[in-house]
Amino acid sequence: MSTREKVLWVVAGIAIVVYALFPVGWIVSLSLKSSDDIANGQFLPTALSWENYEQILVGDAAELFLPALRNSFGIVLIATFIACVLSMFAAYAIARLDFTGKKLILSTALAVAIFPVISIVTPLFNLWRQIGLYDTWPGLIIPYLSLTLPLSIWTMSAFFREIPWEMEQAAQVDGATTWQAFRKVIVPLATPGVFTTAIIAFFIAWNDFAYGISLTSTSASRPVPAALGLFSGASQFESPNGPIAAAAVIVTIPVVVLVLIFQRRIVAGLTNGAVKG
Amino acid sequence: MRRARWRRALAAGVAAAALVGLAGCGGAPAGPPVLNWYINPDDGGQAEIAERCTAASGGQYRIEVSILPRQAGEQRQQLIRRLAASDTSIDIMSIDPPYIPEFAEAGFLAPVPADVAQRTTEGIVNSAKEGASWNGELVTVPFWANTQLLWYRKSQVEGTGLDMSKPVTWDQVIAAAQGADSTIAAQGIRAESLTVWLNALVESAGGEIVTNPSPGDPEGVELGLDSPAATRAAEVMKAVSAIGGPGFSTASEDENSNAFQDGSAMFQVNWPFIWGKVNSAVEDGTAEQATADDFGWALYPQVTPGTPSAPPYGGINLGVGAFSPNVDLAYRATECIVSEENQKQYFLTNGNAAAKLSVFTDPEVVEKFPMAPVIAQSLQQAKPRPQTAYYSEVSESIQRNYHPSAGIDPVTVGPATADLIKAVLAKEELL
Amino acid sequence: MSTTAVESGTGSGTTPTPPGNGASDRARAEQRLGWLLAGPAFVVMLLVTAYPIAQAVYYSLFDYRLTDQENISFIGLNNYAVVLTDQIWWISFAVTVFITVVTVAVELVLGFALALVMMNALQAIRPVLRAAILIPYAVITVVSAFAWQYAFSLDSGFVNSWFSWLPGIAADTDWFGGTYTSLLVICLAEIWKTTPFISLLLLAGLAQVPDVLQEAAKVDGATWWQRMRKVTIPNMKAAIMVALLFRTLDAFRVFDTVFVMTNGANNTETVSFLAYRQTIARVEIGLGSAVSVLLFLSVVIICVGFIKGFKVDLSQARGEN
Repeated sequence: MSTREKVLWVVAGIAIVVYALFPVGWIVSLSLKSSDDIANGQFLPTALSWENYEQILVGDAAELFLPALRNSFGIVLIATFIACVLSMFAAYAIARLDFTGKKLILSTALAVAIFPVISIVTPLFNLWRQIGLYDTWPGLIIPYLSLTLPLSIWTMSAFFREIPWEMEQAAQVDGATTWQAFRKVIVPLATPGVFTTAIIAFFIAWNDFAYGISLTSTSASRPVPAALGLFSGASQFESPNGPIAAAAVIVTIPVVVLVLIFQRRIVAGLTNGAVKG
Repeated sequence: MRRARWRRALAAGVAAAALVGLAGCGGAPAGPPVLNWYINPDDGGQAEIAERCTAASGGQYRIEVSILPRQAGEQRQQLIRRLAASDTSIDIMSIDPPYIPEFAEAGFLAPVPADVAQRTTEGIVNSAKEGASWNGELVTVPFWANTQLLWYRKSQVEGTGLDMSKPVTWDQVIAAAQGADSTIAAQGIRAESLTVWLNALVESAGGEIVTNPSPGDPEGVELGLDSPAATRAAEVMKAVSAIGGPGFSTASEDENSNAFQDGSAMFQVNWPFIWGKVNSAVEDGTAEQATADDFGWALYPQVTPGTPSAPPYGGINLGVGAFSPNVDLAYRATECIVSEENQKQYFLTNGNAAAKLSVFTDPEVVEKFPMAPVIAQSLQQAKPRPQTAYYSEVSESIQRNYHPSAGIDPVTVGPATADLIKAVLAKEELL
Repeated sequence: MSTTAVESGTGSGTTPTPPGNGASDRARAEQRLGWLLAGPAFVVMLLVTAYPIAQAVYYSLFDYRLTDQENISFIGLNNYAVVLTDQIWWISFAVTVFITVVTVAVELVLGFALALVMMNALQAIRPVLRAAILIPYAVITVVSAFAWQYAFSLDSGFVNSWFSWLPGIAADTDWFGGTYTSLLVICLAEIWKTTPFISLLLLAGLAQVPDVLQEAAKVDGATWWQRMRKVTIPNMKAAIMVALLFRTLDAFRVFDTVFVMTNGANNTETVSFLAYRQTIARVEIGLGSAVSVLLFLSVVIICVGFIKGFKVDLSQARGEN
């Protein structure tokens, strides 16, 4: 590669970083503007202000934001966990066993994945009202499974397919019991796949908005994306741009941290599930 | 009896909480019954009142607040969705007046006891009483009342020769803004506030958007949008939009208050929250005292010279959920919430005007809100938005056809909207 | 390891099979185990989608308003007739198609460029690029919508003051005041958020193109562009098609961004938004269900059309082979 080419690729790389970070930087900057500064027409705040964070963490909006944050974490983690356990079994069967109906399960997963959320929201809303799941944690966890399960099954079966299962037998041959062979050989090989799937499932459930606004109505189960629309300014007519920006930054922190730590695995998971490399 | 019911509800609640488990509710609290009050977001005033009334009840009840979304339409959706499921956890709700008929018609409101009705409507401004009623009967408890004034920048109006000490007309306001090469700020955004504006114009011109609310039969609703008054209203709306500032079609109350505060608009029609806003900006040092001093106020402009205007009426009234196990207690709590003292405090701290007339002459209120007499006058003249159980459909249809307001044809827009509303109510069209 | 295996000689397999009809027994056992393991996930998926959609189909045949539960009546296909003869449905449909086509087309080109850069970037900065590109993917759609909306809004935005030197943009340009400018901002937000996904799929596809072919073409004196057209793209067709399919289906369901940015003003309603408005806002469960069912059918048609029309090999998408 010539030096000129190298420089070109580096410049292109910088462009990508700017592309990816610019809107995030903007929302961070916005969250640091005080309410009087918000309309300054500039990218950066005139003076740094923690006013918005104060408002959502300890101030008026804390009652709204903190329960929402707790709900978001709780509901999303549980949904991710259930999806991972269920799809772990399913993916094991798909990757390892030979049984009729394998195609059916995979096609169902595909069909569920392309399902328009809005089409499910209406009937779920009716059903939940009737059986009392409206505005509860399970009332969101269950629909979140429709988002996380199909993807988890795909991604994990793609990972599991690549595990050299013969090694399990080899270990048994070496004198290990079935359980030992499974624990010492297969578990370490399978863990990265499960883990990666969990991260991607977490992202997907974390991103939900339509279920959140339609199936909840109080702090008992309202997740953060739905709570963003409830912030208010000093009066009901004033725009709460600042607190919304601050809350947006806070909910973005966990995903950014996950991305920074696990970027290599996430990429492998995303591409494995859809296009087998 | 009531106690037994309450205990049953509590048992059911505990069972549900146990079933839900994960939600991590703290279980059933010991002590007085809890009244859930669903409030619109504000500056913390309702939560404060809830605390005061809990303390004042002497252990009879405890009020807990739950926040609803910011947009009135979304508040309505949340409440209706829960009430349609006969939700017993809704005891008290802060309802935006135009949606009250829908709640009442659907049987979502517990009837107001006669004595409570009598006590809470004493000395109330006309519009608040009207807005809290449906079919001639009080169905909610009037809490606070809002109205829009015509605000003007004294320094800019001075040169135009317009005499603001007397009621002015929209035509005069438009001419003055044109002459001064300035703009008028009004709510041109596709939102509820557009309907608020149109209704005020139609009512000021002597018309009505809904002429027959036809309770119980959506297809019998009759509209007055093809009347000369409605055409006149549309003409005014179009003319104002033409000299509205940039972004008129996305301007909401907040944008307009900014445009007025920074001087780019010399007039605006808006709620009194802008007074609190400019004063807190002065306190924070982001606005000059001179700016606040330059704010002038007057009654909402007239459409027909000499005929008093019909300013918008807004605010919040309190409904008690029909499925609440504590209806009596809830009504007792509403009486505490709307007490004169609480209305005054709410006015002072949150800038939301009272429904009781006596509050407007309170010295503290007058000192902080020198325009209080004008607000009171405006509230007496104000007219509620169309009262119909299908208000949401009516308003959304209006927004669809009257937005963007600079591009409407005043002659055809009214009849077209009337047709749309009729088709929507007959479920022959989407919205 | 293989030597030990021979020495111990206990044979293979965890389930020793008796002679005779062992093969079919074993197959049956495997069959049972397979369903036992995969069954729960399968049932859950069906429950959370099949049941609701069946209910939506059922409700779509009724005149059902949430606040008027005494007057629910069966009206056959009337709701569908109302939806399909209504101009709004077709406008929303056109808007949805517009957003889908524009975003997917731009994302494909942009995503390809990003993939090429990542492919060719120096080893050292590759992790940085990978992390950076994952951020838009991971950011919540609603957050991204707010960020873009505020950037373009008249009072809190900076776009107007930064780009006022461009013709057509002034300090008071009202982006959300017109259909096309609103759609432009909606598309920008969508593109920013979802291009990374496409580019990662394409990157995986790029990695699949055999180096030998590239080298051979180079030796034959093919230009960069010729190699791209004749070698690279044909060899990653499968990856491109899968990426296209997924993004198209995803784009067609766009809801969050529109909800946050315009709330459907200025004819920016999408089909998903229309369904939401009828059901949740207007509480007309019957009409809303009809819109939902039609949306679902549209998605199925797109999916089947893609698979049949472009011969997308989904076994690859499913990670089979």
